[in-house]
Amino acid sequence: MSWIRYTLPAAAIMSIASPAYAVQYLSIEEAQKQAFPSATHFTEVQAGRVWKAEAGGHVAGFFVFDRVVGKHLYIDYAVALTPSGAVHSVEILQYRESYGGEIRSASWLAQFVGKTSGSALKINGDIRNIAGATLSSTHVTEGVKRVLAAYGNRLR
Amino acid sequence: MATASDNLRRARPLLGTFVEVTTAGAARSEMNAAIDAAFEAVADVHRLMSFHDDDSDVSRLNREAWLRPVEVHAWTFRVLEAVVEMHHRSKGVFDVTIAPALQAMGLLPRRHDDPPIAAQARLFDAIELREGKIVRFRHPDVRIDLGGIAKGFAVDRALEALRRFGIGSGMVNASGDLAAFGQEPQTIHLRHPRDPRLVIGYVDVADEALASSARRFGPLQSADTTASAIIDPGTGTPTDAIDGATVRAPSCMIADALTKIVMISGTDVVEWLEHYHASALLVSTDGDVRITPDWHNAVHLAA
Repeated sequence: MSWIRYTLPAAAIMSIASPAYAVQYLSIEEAQKQAFPSATHFTEVQAGRVWKAEAGGHVAGFFVFDRVVGKHLYIDYAVALTPSGAVHSVEILQYRESYGGEIRSASWLAQFVGKTSGSALKINGDIRNIAGATLSSTHVTEGVKRVLAAYGNRLR
Repeated sequence: MATASDNLRRARPLLGTFVEVTTAGAARSEMNAAIDAAFEAVADVHRLMSFHDDDSDVSRLNREAWLRPVEVHAWTFRVLEAVVEMHHRSKGVFDVTIAPALQAMGLLPRRHDDPPIAAQARLFDAIELREGKIVRFRHPDVRIDLGGIAKGFAVDRALEALRRFGIGSGMVNASGDLAAFGQEPQTIHLRHPRDPRLVIGYVDVADEALASSARRFGPLQSADTTASAIIDPGTGTPTDAIDGATVRAPSCMIADALTKIVMISGTDVVEWLEHYHASALLVSTDGDVRITPDWHNAVHLAA
């Protein structure tokens, strides 16, 4: 068995280049239900950021929405906290990756609003799954630590 | 585009990367439960095989397996059996005792009882496996890192968890190490190893696994890639034989480990690929793409 060799035309690679890639996983409401399936009520504690989950009159936990902002990238994620302020789960809500300037603009971000789960956004072409270089989740991990530091002891 | 009712996709930060689970063909509550189980399996592998976690099997082995026999979890033992087998078959090219080289690069933390990096000598066949999930190291300086194989094993365990639920199809993708089952093939686009903005083509995956290795890049910093984190045990430094490799195999653990062998040995790996019923695509440093003949019809390159 020997290898079959191809030379990729540079122009062809460029023509299917994907300057932006994004996946919408869960809306905030879907993620709340997923994190606290028994909860009957979510009360907004801090607008657009922190919710208290209640089930049958007792506190089931807290749901914190956060966003990691990098140079060209926004990742929306949610941390579900137990009533005692420990991390119950961390879920990615929306993953975005871009190397162009468009991600900074409000209109570029607005196209994601209101999307429901399962919709892999086909921003450029038809890319649903992508493999290659390994992505580091370090920034999300650091974000979770900040969420814990900010809310872990305060929300009771 | 699939609608929310017949497809559910979720992602969590695990194994130092993003692990994505996609399901289709079942009620939403069933798919949610299946995805929860899949993430739980990945988290279990993370707890057992993390180099960073003091309580993991890997950390216990690195502290104690030279001093005394150490019993490990059945999953850790399965991975180590594959590690030892591939180490022998690849004549030492696949080697998990390269942790000190990754420590020297600042990619893994050092502990106070770790030997000085300069003292590291090449150790062949350093891991001894015994009956009863017992592990022993043959040299005091052995420090293992399962980063080159545990991610693939985690994907296999997650897919196994998904299969236990009555769902039509599923896929687990840990940042490029992925496996799928079900009737609908999943289309996977392959990034160019030198520039993650570019796609070199795509491949359809059905009831099989795919793993890729390439230069590292951090999209939060820039699109520039850096050297690979794959250590050539012959030199103790990052390999630069080729730019990137993608391997298709029946299991993701095997595919993951084989990408390391391909990254180090380049095109000289055909007999090992055949042994594991695997196929490969590699991107040379000159940008040319090479594909094994059993696979070239399935890979759709940019043309």
